[in-house]
Amino acid sequence: MKQIKIRLSKVTILAILLFSFFSFGYAGKQDPLTIALTGKYPPFSFFNQHGKLDGFDVDIAKEIANILHKDIEIITTEWDGIIAGLLTNKYDAIIGSMAITPKRAEQVLFSNPYYISGAQLFVNRNNSIKDIRDCDGKKIGVVLGETYERYLRKNHSNIIIITYKSTIDIFQDMDNGRLDGFVTDQLVGAWQIKKANKSFIKKGDLLYKERIGIPVKKSDPLLLSQINKALAQISISGKKKQLYDKWFALKIEPEFTKEANQKMDSMVVYKKLLKGFSITLFVAFFSLLIGFIFALPLGVILHKKKGLIYILVRSGVDFIRGTPVLIQLFFVYYGAPQFGLTFSPLVSAIITLSINSMAYLAEVIRSGLLSVNFGQFLGGRALGLSKFQVFRFIIWPQAFRVTIPPLMNSIVALTKDTAIISVISVGEVIREAQSIISYTFNPMKYYLIVAIMFFIVTFPLMKLASFIECKVKEKGFMHD
Amino acid sequence: MIDIKKISFKYNKGNYILEKFSAIIPNGSNYAILGESGSGKTTLLKCIGQFLKPQTGTINYNGKNIFEINEQKYRESIGIVFQKLFLFPHLTVLENLTLALINVQKKNKKDAIDQASSTLKKLGLHDLGTSFPDQISGGQAQRVAVARALLLKPEYLLLDEPTSALDNNTTNSFAKWLQGLEKETNLIIVTHDQMFAQKVASTGIYLQNGQVLAEGKIETIIQESNSDGSKK
Repeated sequence: MKQIKIRLSKVTILAILLFSFFSFGYAGKQDPLTIALTGKYPPFSFFNQHGKLDGFDVDIAKEIANILHKDIEIITTEWDGIIAGLLTNKYDAIIGSMAITPKRAEQVLFSNPYYISGAQLFVNRNNSIKDIRDCDGKKIGVVLGETYERYLRKNHSNIIIITYKSTIDIFQDMDNGRLDGFVTDQLVGAWQIKKANKSFIKKGDLLYKERIGIPVKKSDPLLLSQINKALAQISISGKKKQLYDKWFALKIEPEFTKEANQKMDSMVVYKKLLKGFSITLFVAFFSLLIGFIFALPLGVILHKKKGLIYILVRSGVDFIRGTPVLIQLFFVYYGAPQFGLTFSPLVSAIITLSINSMAYLAEVIRSGLLSVNFGQFLGGRALGLSKFQVFRFIIWPQAFRVTIPPLMNSIVALTKDTAIISVISVGEVIREAQSIISYTFNPMKYYLIVAIMFFIVTFPLMKLASFIECKVKEKGFMHD
Repeated sequence: MIDIKKISFKYNKGNYILEKFSAIIPNGSNYAILGESGSGKTTLLKCIGQFLKPQTGTINYNGKNIFEINEQKYRESIGIVFQKLFLFPHLTVLENLTLALINVQKKNKKDAIDQASSTLKKLGLHDLGTSFPDQISGGQAQRVAVARALLLKPEYLLLDEPTSALDNNTTNSFAKWLQGLEKETNLIIVTHDQMFAQKVASTGIYLQNGQVLAEGKIETIIQESNSDGSKK
């Protein structure tokens, strides 16, 4: 045992020596390299027909990890929060086709570019627009947060820019006639258009060229130099050309055209959706349970209206009910790490939705308590029951009956609210649907399936609520 | 014995509802607190029931100040049936009766049910056990509320305007029913109904504007109060 330890440490020392002598990114197997990408940017990152992450960026990330002798952990996250996630230590680097810009470079360190692309205008085949200079007063779509938006605003300020969450949404509005054209990466655009079987075509030259790099935290220059060295090695070894061909030669290969109309295996689709939906229900269930447990004492405090604690609870509940749950989610997910509390996306989601449901349920409980006549309290006290016993046996059972219908409504509302947690990359059903859509280009179908899944769960709850409401009314508890 | 000494009570900044009020409520007979509405009867009852604390004066129960002794113990000795009864609508009549037996007197469930059932039977209410309060008549509810308080074997049982929701016939039969409880407890009845008071109580007090107008044998105070009232 001791011998092994010694030998191990010798290996480590040797590794360190090697590293310092040759400055070669070799540091032994340690923490995995955690990188982020959207998983919604084919062919750079997307979920393939087997439901696995795939794409040029994914391959580059794996190569880098391989050269650094690290395991790789890939986190999929939304584009508009991807830098915030890096800065709050959710991952080590972003290998997600991010263009190097001075503005971004203020926040992060960029590696040397690992590919060069450029912005390209696409329009419908029959559109008369010749290039970007014809687009004044026209509606042009870009994906939120991408460099194209800033470029267009600066150089073509008369264009009406409309931002979208993803290219799929842009295609949808191109078909609907809401857009005259869109600007996106020339490689991605061409790939996606063929894949989705659309008749959009390139118009004009590249608007500008983009150098695509890998951002890391400013506090992490060591990782940056390791990545740069790894990129150089990928380039020198010919691996990069190999990957480039693998992904971008596709667009002219007949093989690809064949694949374009291919649907995703329906078993994979349903497995993904069911997995996502089970996470949705899991989050909803625990958020409601935790929310309810805390709502009970808060409801009593709101009902009593006494003391400083009432003022605190009242303002807290009002604040939570008066602010969007999405913002609350961002506070927990991106804000808490600044106070040293870094939660996983799932935990962040449960915390946020628990707090949110707690506020709503506290109000529901308060109104339930309000419906119980104060005389019931006197009646119970006159029998010698303690205050707690009066609450437990007399007030609460009556309040609870009145509370059930609004409680059910809150349960339904909260179950639906879980949809928003997809923005912090919890793999719930909406996110799974989005990743399927990024491959199949059929948003209406899969969003409809998701809507039906929600309805199957919420409909019985709503029916149950009205059934209980009738029962409660029959028993005469629903009067003031 | 309940000894009320010079108590005064007012709500916040209002006028005194009771002013330097004194009375002795004996043990061994039923007692009536008579008076028009607004005379302070119910306030007095709430003071005796320890739900309101007079600003001055004391109320002694068997020689001890009721605001200084164990609240729980006192509540067990003094039963109260409020004017609006406050039966628990989510519980059956039987459960209304057993709630305090189980949770205050810590009886096991079976004993509590036996005791409650036999009390219901004795009081002629045995069909009502499984009914809910909103399924029984006003007269029945009044008796159930009395039975619920009586089960805890209080030394005194305070009834606040027990006839207010009853018609003449039910009032008469209710009065008779109460007479049968003489051995169980000492009733303190707050009422404006002189006929009813006469039937149930032997001594009492007549309140006017928070002060004693007449005190003593029930027939006498009724006479006195009537003549006094006509004089004014």
